[in-house]
Amino acid sequence: MQDLTDNMLMLKVKNGDLDKLGLLYERHKKKLFGFFYNLGNNPSISEDLVQNVFMRMLQYRNSYSGEGAFGAWMFKMARNANYDFHKKTLQTGVLRSTSEIQIKDPMEDRLNEEIEREDNNALLQKALEKLPKGKRELLVLAKYKGLKFSELAQIIGCSEGAAKVRVHRALKELRIIFLELEIG
Amino acid sequence: MDKELFEIKAMEHLTGAASAADTALFESFLDKNPEYKEKFSELKRSWTLLGQLDAPEPSAQMDNSFFTMLSNAIQKNKKEESKSMFAGLFGWFKPQFAFGALFLMVGLGIGYFLASNEEKSSNQVVATDKETEAVRQKLILTLLEQPSANQRLQGVGEANKIVAVDEIVIKALLKTLNNDANVNVRLAAVESLTNYVENPLVRQGLVQAIQNQESPIMQITLANLMVALQEKASIEPFKQLLKNQELDTTVKKKIKNSIESII
Repeated sequence: MQDLTDNMLMLKVKNGDLDKLGLLYERHKKKLFGFFYNLGNNPSISEDLVQNVFMRMLQYRNSYSGEGAFGAWMFKMARNANYDFHKKTLQTGVLRSTSEIQIKDPMEDRLNEEIEREDNNALLQKALEKLPKGKRELLVLAKYKGLKFSELAQIIGCSEGAAKVRVHRALKELRIIFLELEIG
Repeated sequence: MDKELFEIKAMEHLTGAASAADTALFESFLDKNPEYKEKFSELKRSWTLLGQLDAPEPSAQMDNSFFTMLSNAIQKNKKEESKSMFAGLFGWFKPQFAFGALFLMVGLGIGYFLASNEEKSSNQVVATDKETEAVRQKLILTLLEQPSANQRLQGVGEANKIVAVDEIVIKALLKTLNNDANVNVRLAAVESLTNYVENPLVRQGLVQAIQNQESPIMQITLANLMVALQEKASIEPFKQLLKNQELDTTVKKKIKNSIESII
């Protein structure tokens, strides 16, 4: 037995079976939330942006052709939603909010490993924030969301080979920033 | 190996996208070139580090907002569909469409005949049913909490579409039956619950609901239902209800008759 694919579900939504959007939401809400969060948005804005993506899916459902991976189509919308949101906040003069890196009570009795992992994570978030926006987005999509390079290439509009080269270079740049932060 | 090719191969290797043959070639290249090996292991460390990136769980509020948005969209869509059907009726009677309609019917008939010979994708439908019902459950719970009576009615309607309801949905329907301000929603809830009368939780809930109802139509509906079910546990709540001085006389008669029928 096999579940209906995302593509099939989205085609059903396109044909008026809007209920099926609920299934797509359940399947992808965490991925999308993590995507927005790791791009530096705080949890509340990340949730709003997830909602925004699904509203766009409804709004533009008639333009969905079913060709190509659903994930690529969805993350393309997610990128646009993020871009539009930050463009708007820049225009209205609202400061861009960044993820709240949760600072835990140092007195808490935790294992060293866990502390180190959390420190690394906080440092990584900072390093990601320092990366140029496009490169940060690329890394989050490539690694954290587990997209294939062919899908990534569709999202950013380049060849598969170019996508691999770009991710490689972004990763190298991230490492340099991370090490600088670690030393400093 | 030039720089760009190395970058491509390294990424393929890291993500497991390389074939077995390519992997062997790449590894032997690294063994022969310690400088590249070092570059690759640095890259691998960064990639692993990136894998540790996590995010908190989204809140329940996100689900709530989404399902409210979805239910509004479904309702809007239904309205638009019924509007276009209504508009379509006027065009339907134009004589130039008569042949078109005839061919369409023949086509549909042939299509139906052919489709009935195939058992395609039945497995997929069964598999997705479970997932659909889980989502529908969330939709129902969200709809039943909406301030608009229309949306709450829609929530009860969605519950009717579920093949096997679980305790959460039953409790939500019972809560609606006992507490909803709108009598139409309460009636819809009782109608929906009658689909599951074999469930003891439902029967018990229906009996307990008798005393909470003030509307005559609800009291009569429940009385009819209890007679149909021959539910002896309902006699006591009905007797209690009869003690109410303000009880409508028609309802009083109906309840008395019902008690006699059940005994």
